[in-house]
Amino acid sequence: MTDPISLIQTARKEGRKSLSEYESKQFLAAFGIPVCKEVIVKSSDEAAHEAEKMGFPVVLKASGAKLTHKTEAGAVVINLKSKEEVKKEGERLLSIEGCEALSVQEMVPGARELVCGLTRDPHFGPAVMFGLGGIFTEILKDTVFRIAPLEERDAFEMMDEIRARKILDPFRGEEAADRNILAKTLVAVGEIGLKYEDVAEIDINPLKIRPDGKLVAVDALVILT
Amino acid sequence: MISRLEESPLFRIACPRHIVFFGASNNFNRMGSIMLSSIQSLGFEGPIYPVHPKEETVRGLKAYRSVMDLPEVPDLSIIVLPTELVCDALEECGQKGIKHAIVVSGGFRELGPEGEVRQERLASIAKKYEIKVLGPNCLGVANPHHKFNPTPIELEGRPGFVGLASQSGSFITQMFNYLHLHGMGFSTAFSVGNEAILDLVDCLEYLGACPKTKVITLYIEGIRRGKDFMRVARDIVGRKPIVALYVGGSDTGKKASLSHTGALSGPDEIYDAVFKQCGIIRARTLVELFDFALALGTLPPPKGNRVAIQTHSGGPGATAADACGRAGLQLPDLMPRTVERLRAYLPHTASTSNPVDLTFSKNNREYFSGIPDVLLSDDQVDMLLIYMLSPVVFIRRFLREGGIGESELERLEDTAVKELTRMMLDLPKKYRKPVVGYTFRSLQEKMTRDLLEGGIPIYPDAERAAKALAAHVRYHQIKSEFHTRHVE
Repeated sequence: MTDPISLIQTARKEGRKSLSEYESKQFLAAFGIPVCKEVIVKSSDEAAHEAEKMGFPVVLKASGAKLTHKTEAGAVVINLKSKEEVKKEGERLLSIEGCEALSVQEMVPGARELVCGLTRDPHFGPAVMFGLGGIFTEILKDTVFRIAPLEERDAFEMMDEIRARKILDPFRGEEAADRNILAKTLVAVGEIGLKYEDVAEIDINPLKIRPDGKLVAVDALVILT
Repeated sequence: MISRLEESPLFRIACPRHIVFFGASNNFNRMGSIMLSSIQSLGFEGPIYPVHPKEETVRGLKAYRSVMDLPEVPDLSIIVLPTELVCDALEECGQKGIKHAIVVSGGFRELGPEGEVRQERLASIAKKYEIKVLGPNCLGVANPHHKFNPTPIELEGRPGFVGLASQSGSFITQMFNYLHLHGMGFSTAFSVGNEAILDLVDCLEYLGACPKTKVITLYIEGIRRGKDFMRVARDIVGRKPIVALYVGGSDTGKKASLSHTGALSGPDEIYDAVFKQCGIIRARTLVELFDFALALGTLPPPKGNRVAIQTHSGGPGATAADACGRAGLQLPDLMPRTVERLRAYLPHTASTSNPVDLTFSKNNREYFSGIPDVLLSDDQVDMLLIYMLSPVVFIRRFLREGGIGESELERLEDTAVKELTRMMLDLPKKYRKPVVGYTFRSLQEKMTRDLLEGGIPIYPDAERAAKALAAHVRYHQIKSEFHTRHVE
């Protein structure tokens, strides 16, 4: 497992203000937060090879220090079902300005998306957010906060406080979200805030609920102070 | 965390034995003179030493040229001087050995960079002489139990059970009348001003240890010692309820953020989290703040959230039921035995389901004693919400119709009202269950006023009563959770 400190140091050395998506997920995984399978490769051939190993369908993303708003840049392609598709899209992504590598990720199934994050209040310190995730997070604003450190009971209260709390129950043939893993994730995010002064903010969005109720961070961003 | 009031840095600010007063004169058109007159009119029992450069006496008190001339070292200095004289006065107080001060004068941090420098000087003088300072730019304190009110408004009503720590001075002075009219009074109220030395957290800690304070109210615009606030609040909440009104959350802080999380975390969301994690009940308006305080300061702990509603009419019953539902309270079905016993009291048109609707009140005694007694005896009922139809009006009319002369009327009415009040006040004691009234008539009507003073909260609307009951239920849930956690 990657040492979380070394991820921060590398980014600092390169003069970056944030970890890449891949690094962010590695960072979070070091604290027991479940993240999706992801491999970084340099060429479209390698991408196709890794995709086959991972199993189709896959998601392919352009990766680069300056590529922070990937969806807007057309740098994310989902649901690729063959080596040929991966290769073709890989070539295209590599031609996008700022693209330094390709990220091959498992295509996580499940209809439900949550968000979880960390921010810092100047007077109360690190605070953890939880809520309804996905692309409408900021429009729906169905989120709640707790000041770190969180107890597990705080995390369970948060789950009951969002308006869309029923999203955690069984839904259209998918199982209820694993609240224990969710609670551990929220507590862990708070601990990161207390332990690492270097981490200014974290976004985990979406934090997807798999059809079997297990959670997985599909996209993540760690912003440094 | 302090265990005794005497350990608080605010103890001799709220309970001084003697005072030196800067800034009062014989010209009543001065803030200082008005404030000194408030102290005098409440009958402060210790010596007051006005300091004045010219006058021999100020408002009938012997005046001193300098604090150095005082015959003793007073507990507290109150400074209401022009801004440029404040620091020198505080310095003299320090040289005299005075350890507590209220600085009312403005012109400090609230004025920007120039005021900031002045405030730093004030703070450094306070630190040099170890003076505990409340303010500057505040109204100080009101402690009715100590007959001490140096604020510009005269105190009304009796000393009470509501503690207040406020980042607005007005919410102390402007509330004297309001609290009195709503059946409450301050135990001690603090205006913290610019918080140069002592702050809202110190006041909260004081109120937590203050035996006269049954419920703490907070008016917050921004807390700087966040972690200390949380620690102190958590320590108090297991013993005493805290209700807070937070105002001042703007969206400006949200814009600069790079993350979704930062973008969604305005101060309002952060304070919401802080209150929940500390077990603080959040009020959304000033009216709610004191509505909740009234319930929390007077009612016995509820066993659950089930309310019986008693009215004499459909509308008040339906609106109360609706309000209770929205506040998260339940309306239980009454037990068969209760329904049976109620029938003896009710006309055939009445409804014996909950809300219990009499449609016509046969008898005041039954309305205010017999029927509520039956309802409270029901194991399904945790609390009673009763519509206060106006007994005084009925009594007067009955007496008049019965040929009682106007001279006798008042006395007989008083006797009848007193008896009804006494019977009703017995109910929450007998069953140890909360009883709350609501009315659309004046709270100052005879019986309502007596009930308020006797400890039965009465609200001007069912909505307000329901929310206050819900806050009361919520606090006692929090309290038992806090205790369970401590046992763990």
